[in-house]
Amino acid sequence: MKFRTRFSDDKAGRALDVTVGAPSFEATLEGVPLSGDALAVRDGVWSLVGPDGRQIEVSIAFQTDGSVRAYAAGCLFGFELLDELTARALAATGGGSTRRVAHAAAAMPGRVLRVLVAPGEEVTQGQPLLVLEAMKMENEVKSPRDGVVASVEAAAGQAVSAGDVLVRFEAGGERG
Amino acid sequence: MTRLLIANRGEIAIRVIRACRDLGISPVAVYSEADRAALHVRLADWAVPIGPAPARDSYLVVDKLLDAAKKTGATMLHPGYGFLSENAAFARRVVEAGLTWVGPSPDSIAAMGNKTESRRRVLQAGVPIVPGMTAPARSAQEIAEFGRENGFPLLLKAAAGGGGKGMRVVRSAEEVPEAFARARSEARSYFADDAVYAELFVEHPRHVEVQVLGDATGRIIALGERECSLQRRHQKVLEECPSAAVSPDLRARMESVAVAAAKSVDYVSAGTVEFLLAKDGRFFFLEMNTRIQVEHPVTEMVYGVDLVAEMIRIARGEPMSLREKPAPRGHAIQCRIYAEDPAHGFAPSPGRILRLRRPQGPGIRVDSGVEGGDIVPLDYDPMIAKFVAWGQDRDEALRRMRRALAESRVDGIETSIPFFLSLLDDPDVVANRISTQFLDGWTYVPKRPAEDVAAASMVAAALESMDGAKKRRPPAAPGCGSGPGAWRTARASFGSRE
Repeated sequence: MKFRTRFSDDKAGRALDVTVGAPSFEATLEGVPLSGDALAVRDGVWSLVGPDGRQIEVSIAFQTDGSVRAYAAGCLFGFELLDELTARALAATGGGSTRRVAHAAAAMPGRVLRVLVAPGEEVTQGQPLLVLEAMKMENEVKSPRDGVVASVEAAAGQAVSAGDVLVRFEAGGERG
Repeated sequence: MTRLLIANRGEIAIRVIRACRDLGISPVAVYSEADRAALHVRLADWAVPIGPAPARDSYLVVDKLLDAAKKTGATMLHPGYGFLSENAAFARRVVEAGLTWVGPSPDSIAAMGNKTESRRRVLQAGVPIVPGMTAPARSAQEIAEFGRENGFPLLLKAAAGGGGKGMRVVRSAEEVPEAFARARSEARSYFADDAVYAELFVEHPRHVEVQVLGDATGRIIALGERECSLQRRHQKVLEECPSAAVSPDLRARMESVAVAAAKSVDYVSAGTVEFLLAKDGRFFFLEMNTRIQVEHPVTEMVYGVDLVAEMIRIARGEPMSLREKPAPRGHAIQCRIYAEDPAHGFAPSPGRILRLRRPQGPGIRVDSGVEGGDIVPLDYDPMIAKFVAWGQDRDEALRRMRRALAESRVDGIETSIPFFLSLLDDPDVVANRISTQFLDGWTYVPKRPAEDVAAASMVAAALESMDGAKKRRPPAAPGCGSGPGAWRTARASFGSRE
């Protein structure tokens, strides 16, 4: 199965082609062959052993925005992983990684302290939409895009979970 | 069996539970609605619900805590740190209810909790505080004289001020006239009062604190110092014992001053005297914390004492078990592990811990409030564990801490572990060139994974997303599975793309 993968600070992505899946995987990354033994220890936890005996334990978590967060060898890092078809479709529409998001979601669980915008309001990328409180700290939820607020899905005092939609934007409401 | 109620939660509640077990005391936990499943509840012999999740409705409600003690027959109460631990009125209520308060007397707490009263008391005991003028300056000359006496730089402050407004740093006597004029005019416009005074400005200070322990016989000893200069948002994140900036001579002077400060309030129990340490070796009293501190384990590791058990012994009216002051041995470092996301501005990261691998092995101590599968609630402080590493010297302690951090795994929530792995590689931290401002000018830059690690992670993510990839699981019992077996030979390894 073919994938496109990309670090957030890389301009160009890399082609990842997995021809044989776990346990004895075979793949190429930008043409470089990779193989070895892949053990799914449990959900999101893998142990990979290469033919030369190199062992790497990886924890992976798929994020709500489609990216992957990985923790391995003391490094916490994120990357994009798209299957080839999705990657091509996005490239064709000029989307790339800057897909038009239809809503702003909670990145973490918390309580809504304040709502700063109302339906019909025009907002710019980075503008604070709501203030969430968790663990005695206040955190602003910022607008992921320019647009017009279609609806606010959370009220002050409400508890929200990670991934909950907080603000929806009007379709095609791009300005600027 | 004596029962002791712990008016706290999380790792410190568990720390007190452990001291109770060692002393043959039966621990009583309290819990809010958010903490019914918390580890401190499950480790206790008795547990009493005390209300809704917000602390003001549960852990801070005095009557509920006293009722819980009555209900379970607890005769002692330990407050831990935070919450009501430095509340003199609470301590008084506990004593009035006929319980044994595990801590200093309510009068000591009250005296040290009041900024002006504590300064007055320690000054009488000969404890140095940051030199400052006791009355507004009448002239620039007066300030210049004060500077010649106490040294530059000085900080000019509006007498009616606060919040940093109208403050001005003066680096030499020549700068005084203009700075004085400006500070006065700023003070006038901000506070409608042009009274200005000067105090010594301690540049790039360290936060160094001395552990003291006093018992009912009137004996007070000091157990060395802790280096706590690495702070983020005024919160300590990493502590050490001893401080590499403190010589044996300086240690002896700080210890004797700390004991004098404690004696000024007839201190009984474990307490901490905090100092600002200037680059020139002068040190000044900040405040005294009249409770056990988060960073007490580094002192315990180096001095071989159990401070919490000593607090309980002393509260029972027994003398401390240390007949002689113990000699320090080696070096200890503590990292506070928070449920927060270093890659996203240290945003809180509450939620369920899917997996927790704690570091183990030589020289490592972990005081944790959670275990794998637990939920970290969003209602309280985000600290979930303290990792402590001990070594023969600072270098070994640092190496063991790096090992501990790299070995541990927390899946499901984000933690500050990657932040510490980067911090402990910083040459200034390794060389101990730090101050309380160090982390203000330090940015967490995620470590970039090596190519083989990145490639392995991408492959793992691809395999996880592919259908059927997760079908292969570890064998249920040894010998039941077919084992890896299917090795590829003569193929490139993960590290081939250099």
